Amino acid sequence: METYLWITSVWGIYLTAVVFFGGMAWRIYQWATTPKSPVRLGMFPKPKSGAGRFGKLLADTFIAPQSAKIEPTMWIFAMAFHVAALGAFVGHLRLIREFPLLPAWLGEAGMNTFAAWSGSIAGTLMLVGVLFWIARRTFGPYKNLSVPEDYLLLFLLLGVIVMGDHMRFVYGGVVHAATYREWFVSLLTFKPEIPAELLASNVGVSLGTHMLFTDLLLMYFPFSKLVHAIGAFSSNLVRSE
Amino acid sequence: MDSTQLTTLTGVIDKKMNRQLKQYLDICARCAICKDACHQYVGTGDFKYLPARRAELIRQIYKKYFTKTGEFVPALYEARDPDENLLDELYDSTYACTGCRRCMYYCPFSIDTAWILSVAKAILIAAGKGNEMLGQLADAAIFKGDNAEMFNDVMVSGFEDIQEEVRAITGNPNSQVPVNKEGADILYVALAGAHSIRPAAVIFEEAGENWTISMFEAANYGFFYGDVEKARLITKRYIDEAKRLGVKEIVVPECGHAYRVAEFFYEAWSKEPMPFKISHILEKVDQYIKSGRITVDKGLIEGKVTYHDPCQLGRNGGKFEEPRDIVKAVTDNFVDLTPNRAEQWCCGGGGGIVAMEEFKDVRLASGIKKVEQLKASGATVLACPCENCRLQIEELNEVHELGLQVWQVIDLVVAAMPLKGTKPTHV
Ligand code: HEM
Ligand code: SF4
Ligand code: SF4
Repeated sequence: METYLWITSVWGIYLTAVVFFGGMAWRIYQWATTPKSPVRLGMFPKPKSGAGRFGKLLADTFIAPQSAKIEPTMWIFAMAFHVAALGAFVGHLRLIREFPLLPAWLGEAGMNTFAAWSGSIAGTLMLVGVLFWIARRTFGPYKNLSVPEDYLLLFLLLGVIVMGDHMRFVYGGVVHAATYREWFVSLLTFKPEIPAELLASNVGVSLGTHMLFTDLLLMYFPFSKLVHAIGAFSSNLVRSE
Repeated sequence: MDSTQLTTLTGVIDKKMNRQLKQYLDICARCAICKDACHQYVGTGDFKYLPARRAELIRQIYKKYFTKTGEFVPALYEARDPDENLLDELYDSTYACTGCRRCMYYCPFSIDTAWILSVAKAILIAAGKGNEMLGQLADAAIFKGDNAEMFNDVMVSGFEDIQEEVRAITGNPNSQVPVNKEGADILYVALAGAHSIRPAAVIFEEAGENWTISMFEAANYGFFYGDVEKARLITKRYIDEAKRLGVKEIVVPECGHAYRVAEFFYEAWSKEPMPFKISHILEKVDQYIKSGRITVDKGLIEGKVTYHDPCQLGRNGGKFEEPRDIVKAVTDNFVDLTPNRAEQWCCGGGGGIVAMEEFKDVRLASGIKKVEQLKASGATVLACPCENCRLQIEELNEVHELGLQVWQVIDLVVAAMPLKGTKPTHV
């Protein structure tokens, strides 16, 4: 178990960080160094001012109002997933430092309750979103559009979420952020160690598996369609050109 | 597959590669949100017409030959060679696409599937599988440009006939159809056919415009065919005329792609800045009406009138209001289609598809949304400023017995002008 955690949750994370950030940088470099299309590909209505274009870019990217209009069900699930993912990301920042203000207002017990609620909601929404996507791909009349990459990503995502939810729902009352923070900060300061508390209970298996899936997902990220996370901005900007 | 063929075809992608194309190929989530945007997929339910599927064929080649992951694990992306199978499906899905870009409008990443398909056309042409009909029409237009003197006499006598018709309509024996007039302000680049010239001439003459016409038409089959060089040469014919005559402005007719080509594509093709202002004829007509240069009466047009936004003029050209303002100036009985403007359904007749007999079935099936819209509007007259749209909608009109009159907008305007001569009847 200790070995499993060292592989997935220490060395694996270092490797992932290198591949992820290197891969993203390489992807952006590739895009940036390919010459722009000689033809203006914008469409109308088109904002006239720079500020208008920027506003439309943000609205199109974060709200996708046109997509909402044409397929509301998909939009709701996709929105729920992405917002929950953002929420989960913010929640994970507690691994680096406890949030300012919140614990002072809520007290330690209150903070744990708050985290339990918000984490549970985000974790559930993400799970529902991913299950919906898997079903939509598998049973939709256009299922042939999907390629193995789509299922691989959804599988990895499902693994991340299920194991994350497992830690949240099963061990949420047992192991708190402070323990995980000890581990994560040790990684950031390059003095990795695994706290005894994580080894003591079975949470170690969950954490290790959560990290295994996360490592794989993030290592594949820069080479997959998930680069839409950054590409969406420039491609939506082209719409107003 | 044959390695020289492979090198040729991947070479086409390499040559056509640009940032937008690369991003489109890299980021599509295959979420299929675009499916319900495409009138062809909606009308036929045929998987090959799903926008993202059309692009996916190019992505499969791209993944295999332009990305490391696709090279090592092709199965992950169903990456493959541009073999006969792929090219056959690509031919259908590419040449059927009307280039309406409705899919781009709804895509969360604004992926321009039609732009990806412009590469598909280049690949098909390089593989000797370009659409023959469109290729021949493009070559004929280029031939006309190279041998202008052969056509001159016929054209000039045709313009003289039109001038007689114009005089009969305006009731003014001095009305002109000025041909190749040096020092004119405007070169009107019409479509082939008197119907595109006659009403425009009536309007220009009544507005007292200093205009001229020349031999070359605005339609561009090189654009539909997908050969940038041919498309450039076809447009260059009238650009050169405009330079020679010293005009200030080029006015394109009631044709969707002609406007888009002149306003958005030609500069990129020719790599030189456009030395003229480009206007659509309806922009000019709208100004004439608003400034009182021509007079139109309401009440001369009978029935409920609606308006169809041609994709290349509306969503892709930005001219939503001028045509509507014109129609509203000639009738009080106007009703818009739902949805309209940027969300207007493509009629199914764009991209040169009306010229390709082999796509007749999908073309007619893809018109179902337009038919529903027209029926729901309760209109009896349709104003439609695009030749391809009109051809398609006339046919839908017959097949579905809509009992609709399909008009050019400039014909409606002439019909609403209080002129001394004989009213042209709608044909
Ligand atoms: C910012 C604008 C973004 C938009 C408009 C957007 C949109 C979408 C859409 C339409 C899907 C399709 C789901 C499907 O059918 O499979 C998707 C999937 C996904 N997105 Fe985003 N996304 C954005 C940003 C992000 C970011 C920042 C992340 C960061 C992690 C992300 C991660 C994912 C994941 C993991 C999936 C599921 C992949 C799959 O279906 O295989 N997205 N996104
Ligand atoms: S809507 Fe856009 S991202 Fe989604 S499948 Fe279609 S082209 Fe791809
Ligand atoms: S451009 Fe129009 S016809 Fe072509 S795939 Fe998109 S929606 Fe369909």
